[in-house]
Amino acid sequence: MNRAYLGEFEEIVLLTVAALDGTAYGVILTHEIAEQTGRAVKLNQIHSALQRLEEKGMVRSDMGEPTAERGGRRKRLYSLTAYGQRTLQQVREVRENLWSRFVKPFKLAVEI
Amino acid sequence: MKSDDRNITPPAWADKLLCRICAPHLLETILGDLHEEFNFQVSQVGPRKARLLYYREALGFLKLRYIKRQKSPYSATFTFSHDMIRNYFTIAWRTLAHNKVYSFINVIGLSIGLAAAMLILLYTKDEVSFDQFHTNNPNIYRITSRSLSIDGKKVGVMGNTGYMPGPKFAAGVPEIRSFVRYEEQQKDIKNGTEIKSEKVYRVDSSFFSVFSFPLLSGNPETALSQTNSIVISEAMAQKYFGSTDVLGKTILIKGNADKAYEDERFEPYTVTGVAQKSPQNSSIKFDILVPMVTNHGEMEESSNWFSVFMNTFVLLEPGANVSLVEKKMNLIYNADAKEAIREMAQKYGFKDQNQYALQPFTAMHLSADLPGDNGLVDHSDQKLSYILTGIAIFILLIACINFINLTVARSLKRAKEIGVRKVVGGGRIQLIIQFLGESFLLCFAAFIFALVIVQLTLPTFNDLANKQLALSYLFDIKLIMGYLGLFLATGLLAGFYPALVLSGYNPVTTLYNRLALSGKNQLQTSLVVLQFTIASFLIIGTLTIRSQFDYLIHYDLGYNDKHMIRVEKSNLTREEVKLLRQELVKDPNILSVAPKNPGRWFNSAKVNGETEISFAYETIDPEFLPMIEVPVLLGRNFSADSPGDSSRYVLVNETFVKKAGWKNPVGQVVDFWFNNIKYSVAGVVKDYHYTDLNEKIGPQIFTMKAGNTYGRFFVKIKPGTETTSLRHIKETYTRLFPLNPYAYKFLDDDNQQRYESEAKWKQIMLFGTILTIFISCIGLFGLATLAAQRRNKEIGIRKVMGASVTSIARLLTSDFLKLVCISFVFAFPLAYYAIDKWLQNYPYRVDISALLFLEAALLAVIVAFLTVSFQSIRAALMNPADSLRSE
Repeated sequence: MNRAYLGEFEEIVLLTVAALDGTAYGVILTHEIAEQTGRAVKLNQIHSALQRLEEKGMVRSDMGEPTAERGGRRKRLYSLTAYGQRTLQQVREVRENLWSRFVKPFKLAVEI
Repeated sequence: MKSDDRNITPPAWADKLLCRICAPHLLETILGDLHEEFNFQVSQVGPRKARLLYYREALGFLKLRYIKRQKSPYSATFTFSHDMIRNYFTIAWRTLAHNKVYSFINVIGLSIGLAAAMLILLYTKDEVSFDQFHTNNPNIYRITSRSLSIDGKKVGVMGNTGYMPGPKFAAGVPEIRSFVRYEEQQKDIKNGTEIKSEKVYRVDSSFFSVFSFPLLSGNPETALSQTNSIVISEAMAQKYFGSTDVLGKTILIKGNADKAYEDERFEPYTVTGVAQKSPQNSSIKFDILVPMVTNHGEMEESSNWFSVFMNTFVLLEPGANVSLVEKKMNLIYNADAKEAIREMAQKYGFKDQNQYALQPFTAMHLSADLPGDNGLVDHSDQKLSYILTGIAIFILLIACINFINLTVARSLKRAKEIGVRKVVGGGRIQLIIQFLGESFLLCFAAFIFALVIVQLTLPTFNDLANKQLALSYLFDIKLIMGYLGLFLATGLLAGFYPALVLSGYNPVTTLYNRLALSGKNQLQTSLVVLQFTIASFLIIGTLTIRSQFDYLIHYDLGYNDKHMIRVEKSNLTREEVKLLRQELVKDPNILSVAPKNPGRWFNSAKVNGETEISFAYETIDPEFLPMIEVPVLLGRNFSADSPGDSSRYVLVNETFVKKAGWKNPVGQVVDFWFNNIKYSVAGVVKDYHYTDLNEKIGPQIFTMKAGNTYGRFFVKIKPGTETTSLRHIKETYTRLFPLNPYAYKFLDDDNQQRYESEAKWKQIMLFGTILTIFISCIGLFGLATLAAQRRNKEIGIRKVMGASVTSIARLLTSDFLKLVCISFVFAFPLAYYAIDKWLQNYPYRVDISALLFLEAALLAVIVAFLTVSFQSIRAALMNPADSLRSE
């Protein structure tokens, strides 16, 4: 495999950053992920995931405008890099590939 | 909504904590997100819960990931670049060469300080290594004993033993591998026609297997196994035979080994070994060893357990349990000596219980309770080590203070250099390294000088400290490490503070020439005060020791010791005294002759029925007291005309009378109860100091008892006839006693020699004080020079305005003298406490007088004044035009 390893949580963060399309930053990501996955997410987890992703070169960050509720501090806005996009693409292909090979697609016993 | 939220803020200390800990480049985002989340939570769950959540979230950021600082994008300055290091050396050399006075002061001061510390290191190394060279260490022990009173209290300890413990314990305790008894005796040795008295040590044949004294020739295992064999030292072999190849030759020694009494013949001893010179750090130093032979009767007589006169050493099995061995020893003693113990209790009322113990051989040298004595030499006092160390530390400290003061005070001149270095990119670390390096360079020079000084002063030091040290001791890894440590510590101590101060200068102020080190430098002031506190403390100490010494030397002893000669003659009989007196007084220069017992005797007797008094016991004849000019206050002196004096009468001194509580002493009875003899007091003798002044006058009894032997005689001569009288005494002595060695001593010389240790302390303190004052003063000199330079313009202006030379000199001098005076405030109480403690050791001592302190103060002020005034006057005399012209 020639693509970088991506943890499950990192994948979710990366996907959410992509979904928010350039407006992603710490707090909004926390709320978004908490809402989407239903798990309790702490700010420092998001920050460290973002740091790791940035080190891997999958996201880049720019400083945004200062706002009042941040005590006049600026946001760090994250957006996907081309490498990040390609990685997400590859992850998706692998999954779809596997799904498509199911001979007997199973049905969930109980519909939610 | 916004106006409500304004007073609801997240907890401030959590923010503070994060600001402190988190990396600056991450901080803005982290805090921003936290605050935004907080505001959101306030609207969701209320301020209280939001605060709690805030804590949890904030604490989550205390992770290495958020703490790690961002790497600087710029390359770091190269700390150890080759060119810079070369530059440091160049600059250091130029600075040193340019300021010769300061470099000189620093190097001289530091090297004296280092030399003092080095000498002390040598000294302590020697002290610590004492007796360590025996390969059987730590299994060599000395048998000691302590006596316990009936209620179990410790009454006394003793390091000496008799014939019995060694062989008895070795036979009964399996852990004791072997024993050595070691007894010193003075023996007459015949060499051709000459007879000399030498120290001979009687030892058991296991001596060389227990102790590691290498033999040059001879077999160490068998050397001492034959009765009349003898092992001598190299030096002794050279002295008697002129070579060291002397195995099998004979030496004539008077007296048989197992009989300690006189009137014996010279017996031949065969040399069976030649030993190397005993190491100087050894408690056992011998020239002649002979085997110890005890006849059978001595070991059978159980009362011999109580006769104690020598040292016994044992070698234990490695790993033996010492307390167990001690227990076994005491079991053996109590069984073997049962009869003797009972007898002692019956006969003499001696009820103290005796317990044997073991003392590690290596602990003997510095032990205060159980010193090595009775043939074991060079016991040393730990107090001396402390005093020496104290003085060395003082001196080194003062030298370091000089360095710090001068470097900081002089730094004004280097401020520009520091400014330029900083402007072109030098970091603080680099500057610290540079200045520390300079101090190490100087310290290194001082170190080399110090080695030279040590080499030069070692003989004097050896004399003072009673040692034979040599610099060759240096070739020892521990000592080299010690010296290296000393070097590093001094370099750091002296260089660290200046380096810190100098590297902290702001380049802008230094380059604009606005930096002014104020004259009132707190640190410099307090350091100078500290220096002079130490110096005045030592001055007071020296003055006290000197006056106490003079006091002891010139104290009226209560008798006349002038023109008295003392000659030792063992076993001097009454007839011999008569003959001797007859012959000696033929010379009109000889005024009187009187015999006395050898050494110091003590005894005890009962008075008033049951009170027991112990006293100094002097055996004299009627001429003794008149000769030393001690009057008999009450009653009468012994008389040659009343033959009953020797068997019925004694004389006592005033202290004895006081102790006995007698109103009418003459005619009172003194009961020597264990000999069952009663004496009447014939007269009371005026108290005199029969021993040195470290002891109070105790009770004294004079007797003429016929059974007591004389061991010496005193001769009083006419003043100024020393040469002829001595010749006459010697001729008479050798004619009358051809088989006895002749040696004489002047009594007043002898009395002075008793204060040798005081004389030594006096000298050591004097040296220490002179060095301390010297170093303090050169430091003060440097500071005064700098002060004069710094106030150059001020002086110029003052002169132009009409100030006189004296007023300016006074201005400059008084600054420093004030500091010296302040130092007295600290020095006096300390010194008072110290000398008061020291003087407590002496029953006869000088009073601590205010005059002494005044003297010390005056001395310190005068010395400081002389040092400072030279520079002050020079500065005051300068032409103001010169200092004011240049701007």
